[in-house]
Amino acid sequence: MEKVTITIDGQKVEVPAGTRVLDAAAIAGIKIPTLCAYSALDYYPGACRVCIVQVEGMRGLQASCALPVRDGMVISTRSKEVIEARKTVIELLLSSGVHDCNTCPRNNNCELQTLAEMYNIRTNPYGNALVNKREKGKDDAGPALVRDYDRCILCGRCVQTCAVVQTVNAIDFADRGYKAHISAAGFPNIVDSYCINCGQCILACPVGALYEKEDVDNVIDAINDPEKIVVVQTAPATRISLGEELDMPYGSIVTGKMVAALRRLGFKYVFDTDFSADLTIIEEGHELIHRIQNGGTLPMITSCSPGWIRFCETFYPDLLDHLSTCKSPQQMMGAVIKAYWAKKVGIDPSKIVSVSIMPCTAKKYECQRPEMRSSGYQDVDYVLTTRELGRWIRQAGIDFSKLPEEHYDDPLGESSGAGVIFGATGGVMEAALRTVYEVILNKPLPKIEFESVRGEQGVREAVIDLDGKEVKVAIAHGLGNARKLLDKIRAGECDYTFIEIMTCPGGCLGGGGQPIPTNTEIRAKRTEAIYRADEGLPIRKSHENPSIKKIYEDYFEKPLSEKSHHLLHTHYTPRPVIVPNDN
Amino acid sequence: MELFRLQVLICAGGACISSGSKSIFQVMEEELRNRNLTDEVKLIQTGCVGSCDIGPVMIVYPEGIFYQKLKPEDVPLIVEEHFIKGRPVKSLLYKEKSTQKEVEKYRDIDFFSRQVKVVLRNSGIIDPEKIEEYIARDGYQALAKVLTEMKPEDVIESIKISGLRGRGGGGFPTGIKWEFARKSPGDIKYVVCNADEGDPGAFMDRSVLEGDPHSVIEAMTIAGYTIGAKQGYIYVRAEYPLAIERLSHAIKQAREYGLLGDNILGTDFSFNLDIRVGAGAFVCGEETALLHSIEGKRGMPRPRPPYPAVQGLFDKPTLINNVETYANIPPIILNGGEWYAKWGTENSKGTKVFALAGAINNTGLIEVPMGISLGEIVYDIGGGIPKGKELKAIQAGGPSGGCIPKEYLSTPVDYDSIKKLGAIVGSGGLIVLDEDTCMVDLARFFMDFIVEESCGKCTPCRVGTRKMLQILNKITRGEGTLEDLDLLIKLGEQISKTALCGLGQTAANPVLSTIRYFREEYEKHILEKRCEAGVCSSLYISPCQNACPLEIDVPSYVALIGEGRFKDALSVIRERTPLPGICGRVCHHPCQSKCRRGQTDEPVAIKWLKRFAADWEIKNQPYTHIPVPVKDRIEKVAIIGSGPAGLTAAYDLALEGFKVTVFEAMPKPGGMLKWGIPDYRLPSEILDYEIRYIEKMGVEIKCNTKVGKDIAFEEIKKEYDAIFIAVGAQKSIKLNVPGENLEGVIHGVDFLRKVNGGEEVAIGNSVAVIGGGNAAIDSARTALRLGAKEVTVVYRRLKEQMPADKEEIRQAEKEGVKFIFLAAPVKILGKNKVEAIECVKMELGPFDKSGRKKPVPIEGSNFVIPVDTVIPALSQKTDLDFVPEDEFKISKWGTFEVDRLTLYTGVDGIFAGGDAVTGPSTVTGSMRHGHIAAKYIKKYLDGEEVRFEYEPFHKTEIPVPEPSDEEIIEQPQRVMPTLPVSQRLGRDFAEVELGYSVELAMAEAQRCLRCDRTE
Repeated sequence: MEKVTITIDGQKVEVPAGTRVLDAAAIAGIKIPTLCAYSALDYYPGACRVCIVQVEGMRGLQASCALPVRDGMVISTRSKEVIEARKTVIELLLSSGVHDCNTCPRNNNCELQTLAEMYNIRTNPYGNALVNKREKGKDDAGPALVRDYDRCILCGRCVQTCAVVQTVNAIDFADRGYKAHISAAGFPNIVDSYCINCGQCILACPVGALYEKEDVDNVIDAINDPEKIVVVQTAPATRISLGEELDMPYGSIVTGKMVAALRRLGFKYVFDTDFSADLTIIEEGHELIHRIQNGGTLPMITSCSPGWIRFCETFYPDLLDHLSTCKSPQQMMGAVIKAYWAKKVGIDPSKIVSVSIMPCTAKKYECQRPEMRSSGYQDVDYVLTTRELGRWIRQAGIDFSKLPEEHYDDPLGESSGAGVIFGATGGVMEAALRTVYEVILNKPLPKIEFESVRGEQGVREAVIDLDGKEVKVAIAHGLGNARKLLDKIRAGECDYTFIEIMTCPGGCLGGGGQPIPTNTEIRAKRTEAIYRADEGLPIRKSHENPSIKKIYEDYFEKPLSEKSHHLLHTHYTPRPVIVPNDN
Repeated sequence: MELFRLQVLICAGGACISSGSKSIFQVMEEELRNRNLTDEVKLIQTGCVGSCDIGPVMIVYPEGIFYQKLKPEDVPLIVEEHFIKGRPVKSLLYKEKSTQKEVEKYRDIDFFSRQVKVVLRNSGIIDPEKIEEYIARDGYQALAKVLTEMKPEDVIESIKISGLRGRGGGGFPTGIKWEFARKSPGDIKYVVCNADEGDPGAFMDRSVLEGDPHSVIEAMTIAGYTIGAKQGYIYVRAEYPLAIERLSHAIKQAREYGLLGDNILGTDFSFNLDIRVGAGAFVCGEETALLHSIEGKRGMPRPRPPYPAVQGLFDKPTLINNVETYANIPPIILNGGEWYAKWGTENSKGTKVFALAGAINNTGLIEVPMGISLGEIVYDIGGGIPKGKELKAIQAGGPSGGCIPKEYLSTPVDYDSIKKLGAIVGSGGLIVLDEDTCMVDLARFFMDFIVEESCGKCTPCRVGTRKMLQILNKITRGEGTLEDLDLLIKLGEQISKTALCGLGQTAANPVLSTIRYFREEYEKHILEKRCEAGVCSSLYISPCQNACPLEIDVPSYVALIGEGRFKDALSVIRERTPLPGICGRVCHHPCQSKCRRGQTDEPVAIKWLKRFAADWEIKNQPYTHIPVPVKDRIEKVAIIGSGPAGLTAAYDLALEGFKVTVFEAMPKPGGMLKWGIPDYRLPSEILDYEIRYIEKMGVEIKCNTKVGKDIAFEEIKKEYDAIFIAVGAQKSIKLNVPGENLEGVIHGVDFLRKVNGGEEVAIGNSVAVIGGGNAAIDSARTALRLGAKEVTVVYRRLKEQMPADKEEIRQAEKEGVKFIFLAAPVKILGKNKVEAIECVKMELGPFDKSGRKKPVPIEGSNFVIPVDTVIPALSQKTDLDFVPEDEFKISKWGTFEVDRLTLYTGVDGIFAGGDAVTGPSTVTGSMRHGHIAAKYIKKYLDGEEVRFEYEPFHKTEIPVPEPSDEEIIEQPQRVMPTLPVSQRLGRDFAEVELGYSVELAMAEAQRCLRCDRTE
């Protein structure tokens, strides 16, 4: 590749031609701040103007994120003029809305706040954010997401994420000038729009303009209510990310400490969603086998990811028959707790408050779907994200690192490695294959790991040798990738048998409820931890989980039984796109 | 081709259509049919002629007779008289704005004759809906030439030689842009025309599209051939339906004629053109936003590079120019680049279209050679400022541009010169601003526009412009601080540096340029909470009160006069001046030019009503209600000079209880009021009465006491606790021509002083007065009264530029004073006595710093006027002999330098004001100084810091009648009864203006609209 030589802050650097000045500076060891640039999406709109630099011979200051280098370019990134200008931009941003850090969900984890600190902003001549009245307010009508218009800095990262990562396009810029804002693309509120509640926008947001609808206080109220029995389940991907919220290194496995913490927070019973993941595998595996053997709709597509379900209902309602009828592990657990377990331990299910800890914001939406009341009650009452739990543990003054490792409560706490890997892209596929293989062939797997379905690639294909019979499977994570597969199905161009689709990049470990930041490197560390957790477990196949076996013996009788259909399966509703009135 | 006896062109430009040109056309069509003239008279609807304020307009060829402001009922008359009988209808001809003289022919009208039309070559001449008419005027010949004779490189070379630069505002060299687009690698390229003209008041692109759409189609096809594009897009805003209609029609015609589409003119070159209609977002005029909009995306700009020439529409190399740029191309190709480059300046070649708007007589569209001066555009083509108002500045370049003050009228209009002044040529909008424009409010207006039109993408433009608007709003409400002003500049500069696109980078220009040239106006809003233009309405109770240097509560006293409560009216006046009878006679009454009633018929005669109230007291209740000081103060104040400033200060200080002594060098008090203004304007009795009134309050006036001669300045300093120097300006400025020492030469102030003092002054038979101010007119009229047979005023500029009061000039003319304009004396001839004066004729040259054309002598044009008396009345300056040298700061004009807001000289306890500070100024301006001095002298004597302190206006406590809700009937000002000329010229100097009767005064006062009442 052609190289050019440029001078940055007096330092000569050789970089590939066409490199962005921002990246060229990084090569030279100079960090230029940005707020709108989002390298994960190759998004460099040059909008926030924080990354401005001075270039000899060019008028004004240039956005380094958008400017390609030219041979001989002389750049200054820290001249007085540049610093003054950056300060002005930061001051203007701070004065543009309500940036009162104390009451912000992103306090201590905000890119604008960090810049304000870095650039010595002590007084703001353009008006103190604290005295600004709330002009636009919040959009918090939905079940999962809150958009605080007053904190939004219009960087556009959420819009880009929604459009490029998820291809949902639920949000876009609207209006002009100071009235410009991110709108629900023509709808009054995000809840009315095509939003799938995935929360990837939250991860993209540099400030506190986007966050989950918070439920911790509701859960605390329930715990303090002597009439209630509060139980909790924890999703596979929370055990490898919660540590990040509590100052532990990326990829720490904190399963036992999390259980201990939850008990200290007041939960009466702590269950593991991994158990219901195993249950999902049994049901879904048998559904697949059933479809294969009885000419059912193929490829069958996984249904664990509520964002994906909503996406399919909206954009591919014609493909709903491809979806597995299995509920997600969260909802299976919810139904099992209030229907099966309550009876078993003799508790009035109306007194149970069922909480789940999830890496996901769409789960907050999912638990409120009207279909999810097969126990006769709302099966899951509250969903807390990993972030919410982390904050609660800190609030409770629990020294997380000193907690002992505790075990989940039986029987809904016992699980297999197959359940754990649900947290990573390809995990459901692999878990299903471990079971399907052994069920169909009735013989043990030669090798537990299906390396071919693992990896980071957005769309992956694998051919599984079921003792001479080849089964083609595919995996997609991120709905932009999913579209590629779905369009193929629509066009009748695919011969897959089974497809796993996860809403979020990396699978649940990259979910919208996970700690911020979440990026490619961090996702890789979490993935590694997931597989490590799997390896460390004595049981690694769902059908070998003794508690699973027991529940079938005691209650469901067999997979796809009438009881299981009632409690563990569901149906879907087409919600096709209606173009909003654009007047 | 058919031959017609007459060709009748009716303008169908946007402005003429809206004033009814369509119906003129219909009636004309009908009339011609009825009269069987359709074979003789050809009727054509054209695009915009340019003179948009006088539409509908019509031009009749072959002579080019120009009719204006037509109504349908005028048509039969024109057909009968002009078309049949060959006599143009005089009453409908164009009238020169200043003289109201008819001009028959299109080419003789200044507005048109000074223009050079390249872009607008066909506008107003051809029917834009007929391609044949375009072709008949060499249309599509350039395209044929390009396709058959020229290589793309030749086209580029030709444009490069022409020196054409982008007319959309950026001014980038067009030839180089075309070269970039041509050299940019790629199989698919696009040609785009930016017709998203969005500057308020600019409509040149619209006019071309409506008046000559084929010129753009032809140019874009040439561009397609040159850069290697097969597809072009014209991006027009939806607000231009007529342009879209005519353009669509033209594209269709061009296709039918094989001038667009496949194998154009039988060559293997194919090119297609489509229209894209924009929703009218201002930002879509920015090229990257425009391209996004064509692509169907939100119209937001993106950073450049890459430039569109490399990566443009659909990421392909794209050539984008605006309408006006394209319209220049065909004639450049046909006539050669050199032909085009013959107009203009070094770096700005050719012609430029401007849209003239605002306070200018001829509004509309003009095309002029680059390099013409701003002054020529405003005065020679634009016809100057309406209603005798004064030019203040020119706003160039719209919301991205800036204001150029009148000092720079000689600036050549080209990209570089205009930019140097902080404005831009931009797309060519020129808004002329007169004295009634508030520059802060203007900046606020443009900022408001930007705040609405910013796309909201980048922080500085989205947030910064709004903050600037908030600050400007604060200032116009009188709530701003000096820190705000600094912040405004800082923020403006930062936005310019850091914004993403051109819109943001130039957004602060209107603010920065107005601060640059009109900072004092901003400061007045901030410190004094005054908007002198009378625009920022939260700063005053009524425009008249706001315009008054003394801030008299005009609406209240006018209302009281209207009710017959004359004494109360006078009390209201006295709250702000002790000299109402004087003000009511000699004030320059700025209040009246701002009077809202003036917008209906004529302003209320405020000055004369004030005089009426003052006269009423003298006649009916003299020396009553003399105010008593609130308390006794022991401090002594000396005032040097008993003119309007000194007397006002004395009154105010006496009211506070101070011991005031006024030192007057002359035998009688009054200063210029006494010695400068003749009795026929300001009778001595009035002056004496009002001075006596002040004396009755305990003020001691020591006449015949010249400081420096009769009493030492040092002694006053020792004796008094504070001093106010208000010595005025009485030293005449010399002509400095040979013969000035001859007998018979007497300078204006000296002449008036002697006459006013009752001295016998010998005056000859024929008198020449030199000058154009009030002193000159006073001298001339005085000379007549002394018996001069012939009095001639010689003035070096034109009558409308004379600084003297217009009413005084009118009266002088009535009395028989003669005027010679555009002449200046070079020599006074005579042996011992004056025998004649030799003058030279002047012509108006380039514009000077005062915004007027500088008179320059015409060599060899000398002429002699035989006279026996010469009265030079140029100007005066202050006699500074009495003050110790070096003690005071003296300006280069020989005036005291003081703090503008407190009049403090900086020397302990000494203040200065009036003409001694400002140079020869107005009577009321000096009185204002008297108030200021008194206020800060009190502060000084109270031991407080002498620092400006804003004092809110207190409305009078006297109950004021409510406005009546009667309907307003148009009626002019009540005429002021005057002495017949026959009775004026005696030596008794009888007062000319006789004053209103009670009936007249009450009727006149009732004309007030009471705009002080907002509810």
